[in-house]
Amino acid sequence: MSTIKIDKVRKCFGSVEVLKEFNQVFEDKEFITLLGPSGCGKTTMLRMLAGFEKPTSGTISIDDKVVSSDKVFIPPEKRDIGMVFQSYAVWPHMTVFDNIAYPLKIKKVPKDVIKQKVDAIMEVVHLSQYADRIPSQLSGGQQQRVALGRALVAEPNLLLLDEPLSNLDAKLRENMRFEIKAIQKKLGITVVYVTHDQIEAMTMSDKVIVINDGVIQQVGNPMEIYRNPANQFVAAFVGKIDFIHATSENGKITIKDTDQTLDYDGELTGDVVVAIRPESIHLCREGGKLRGVMDNKTFMGDVNDCYVRLPNGKGVRVIAPPETYDIYEIGEEIGLDFDTFHVYEDDGTDAATKIVT
Amino acid sequence: MANPAAAVEPVSKKLYFDIKWLLIFVIIAFLVIFEVFPLLYLVFRAFFPEGGFSLEAFQRVYSYPLNWTALKNTVITAGASMILGVLIAFPLAWLVGRTNLYFKKFFRTLFVMTYMVPPYVGAMAWLRLLNPRVGTLNVFLQELFNLSETPFNIYSVGGLIWVLTTFYYPYAFITISRAMENMDPSLEEASKISGASPLKTVATITLPMMAPSIVAAALLVFVSAASCYGIPSIIGAPGNVDTVTTRIIDFVYIGSSEGLSDATTLAVFLMLIANLVLYLSTFVVGRKQYITVSGKSVRPNIVDLGKWRIPATIAVIVFAIIVVVIPFATVFATSFTVNMGKDLFEAGNFTLKYWQVVFTRKQILNSAQNSIVAASVAATLGIIISCTMAYLLTRTRARGRKIPDFLITVGSGTPSIVIALGLIMTMNGKFGINIYNTLFIIIVAYMIKYLLMGMRTIVSAMTQIHESLEEAAQISGAGWLRRFKDVILPLIGPSVVAGWFLIFMPCFYELTMSTLLYSTDTKTIGYELYQYQTYHSQQTASAMAAAILIFVVVVNWILNKVTKGKFSI
Repeated sequence: MSTIKIDKVRKCFGSVEVLKEFNQVFEDKEFITLLGPSGCGKTTMLRMLAGFEKPTSGTISIDDKVVSSDKVFIPPEKRDIGMVFQSYAVWPHMTVFDNIAYPLKIKKVPKDVIKQKVDAIMEVVHLSQYADRIPSQLSGGQQQRVALGRALVAEPNLLLLDEPLSNLDAKLRENMRFEIKAIQKKLGITVVYVTHDQIEAMTMSDKVIVINDGVIQQVGNPMEIYRNPANQFVAAFVGKIDFIHATSENGKITIKDTDQTLDYDGELTGDVVVAIRPESIHLCREGGKLRGVMDNKTFMGDVNDCYVRLPNGKGVRVIAPPETYDIYEIGEEIGLDFDTFHVYEDDGTDAATKIVT
Repeated sequence: MANPAAAVEPVSKKLYFDIKWLLIFVIIAFLVIFEVFPLLYLVFRAFFPEGGFSLEAFQRVYSYPLNWTALKNTVITAGASMILGVLIAFPLAWLVGRTNLYFKKFFRTLFVMTYMVPPYVGAMAWLRLLNPRVGTLNVFLQELFNLSETPFNIYSVGGLIWVLTTFYYPYAFITISRAMENMDPSLEEASKISGASPLKTVATITLPMMAPSIVAAALLVFVSAASCYGIPSIIGAPGNVDTVTTRIIDFVYIGSSEGLSDATTLAVFLMLIANLVLYLSTFVVGRKQYITVSGKSVRPNIVDLGKWRIPATIAVIVFAIIVVVIPFATVFATSFTVNMGKDLFEAGNFTLKYWQVVFTRKQILNSAQNSIVAASVAATLGIIISCTMAYLLTRTRARGRKIPDFLITVGSGTPSIVIALGLIMTMNGKFGINIYNTLFIIIVAYMIKYLLMGMRTIVSAMTQIHESLEEAAQISGAGWLRRFKDVILPLIGPSVVAGWFLIFMPCFYELTMSTLLYSTDTKTIGYELYQYQTYHSQQTASAMAAAILIFVVVVNWILNKVTKGKFSI
């Protein structure tokens, strides 16, 4: 088992505070994803779990054993953790077999046991036929699997993955997502996974921790995060979103510079932002909660990706079923219908939709 | 994980830092004692000859006309070889690095290799070729053009410039071609797509981009030529062409306190020039460097020479024959010649006896042994310091780690003769350390002068090893020693070997510092060769030089094989 307790952990590099107070408990056998844009502090958190960085303050315990605090610091080599690095860090001067066998050699495991365990792991990561190759003869995906095999071979209870798929091409990335998830289930280990790719976070995690600017924005399972984003940042970072500026008053929300309104039973008043998932909007000729003009449409095969312009000039992205492409013409007046929307205070961070990762 | 309390370790942060600090401290202490202190002492001696501040020593030294001539000669010869060296090196580097010249790779190796040849070998060769009475080339040209007297006199300022140029242009060649080959080709492509001709592109893009490297190369040639002793001592002395370095050695050999004082004052002058140049090239020119060496190997644009391809190749061949083939062949020929007045191929004029002497005479073998021991120890200690420094510089943020780096750079930029003089004046027991007349003083001097080459090699190798490779071993449970052995060492291994030889080779045939630091028991091969050349037998000296040349080539070849072409000298 492996339970991780992170208590009031802070990290500063010089005078820059990259991680503000971080409090979390990761349960045994959980798949936890730290999700956020680059520079948000997620990799720093992971490296503190590994022991490559020391928290400026706070305590980290693994299985009730303090590994890092003001008084205690256990270096990475004594933490019994598996880790996959973003750059894979596969040693170029060792064969696939030697790379994977390394953690066992350090533990002075008998040779025959090493052979047996490495063979078993190579089976798991589909590398059996490459045992004697050196890394430069392998593709990126294969090198990545060597790194995964090496991280798993000593049967750690905790596996850390630092953007392990970011250097792979799209197709391979998709395959590896399922493989990593399957391996985690099979071996029953706790995984902490760092990524800026929300699809990876959504498809693999039991728990997603969204981080921005060193601050946890939201914690929850993928569905909660997607359906009920805690704030504008999370809404924008996870999935696609339309933000529409509006004013809230007396249980009614009025879209800025229009006379269109939405019913609202929340508490916010004054300037607000209405957030709607483009794929939750249905197009209709008559009625609809909002109305606008079809401005632009793109046939994507599986969907019709289009923009509807509201009377105030705001373009609303709609991801509609493909058949709607033929039904609605550009310039046609159209209704937008949707069941759910979220309302956030207008804090002027609309630019957060342009997150660069 | 069963017993949480047992696994808890006290914070080792303090101890951790102490080890790094200790390493830095030891290296700094070594450099301060053997480099900073002697150099500062020289400056002190120059300005405070009898305890009080006085410019008397300066006045005396610089009022002596012979010294003025020496200063003038140094500045003129170094300046002229700097200009000629760059004028040769730039087109050569461009032709070899960036055009479709024939046999480029061969030429490159050839010109780079001259860099590793001791400069006095060139002096010996040209002395034979351009001796005003019997110089082989002189006589040949005289007969060819039916001249009343021989056309050249090597025993002159002009002769000095010629030999200095032919032996220091490789410094510029290496610096410039490295920068040229690392230039992003798209910069020139952008010029071409804008409509510029190849020549226009060279003039408006390549040349300005290269300017900082060219200036750095020029300064390097200048300071190397100004602090060279081997060439002026062999060529200058017979023609009474004195330079600062030969004057310093003369003053030291006088041995009197006044002599030492005068030597010091001249040395301080040389040191100031060298340090100024070092400052300019590191902090002024270095900042302007547009070209950074990228990890990726950029494939530079290759310019098609078109109809000039054959003429250009011929020109380079002629150049190579003049500056490489003829001198080296002369040294080899001399080593087999009984009577130097006659043709080698005349009957009875061919002999192996000088080669026999080289490999049997006890005195020569002893000196060779001294050189090998001193150079090996210097290289080994140097590599240990280099590895430590590389680790400190690339893997830690330990405070003070830049201090040794700076001192090592200064040491390497200081003229050999100045380092040796400083050591003589301070390491004679006067200040508690007496290593005078031992091999140690020679080893120390070698290290101060040549450490940088090893350090740069290993630092650049370390920079290319991504930190995560080490972290992966750490997370696998490897402690720092284990990580070093399993990951770092195998990956930097070839660079360590290369770095070792980069320190070893120049130390092995070193002349300048050895001339000041040797004792009867600690003669080095470089000084032995110099003595034979000047006093006993030019043929024996040539045989020794030829043996050294073969050694350099063989080591270079082995190095190339061992490191799979990644390194050669």
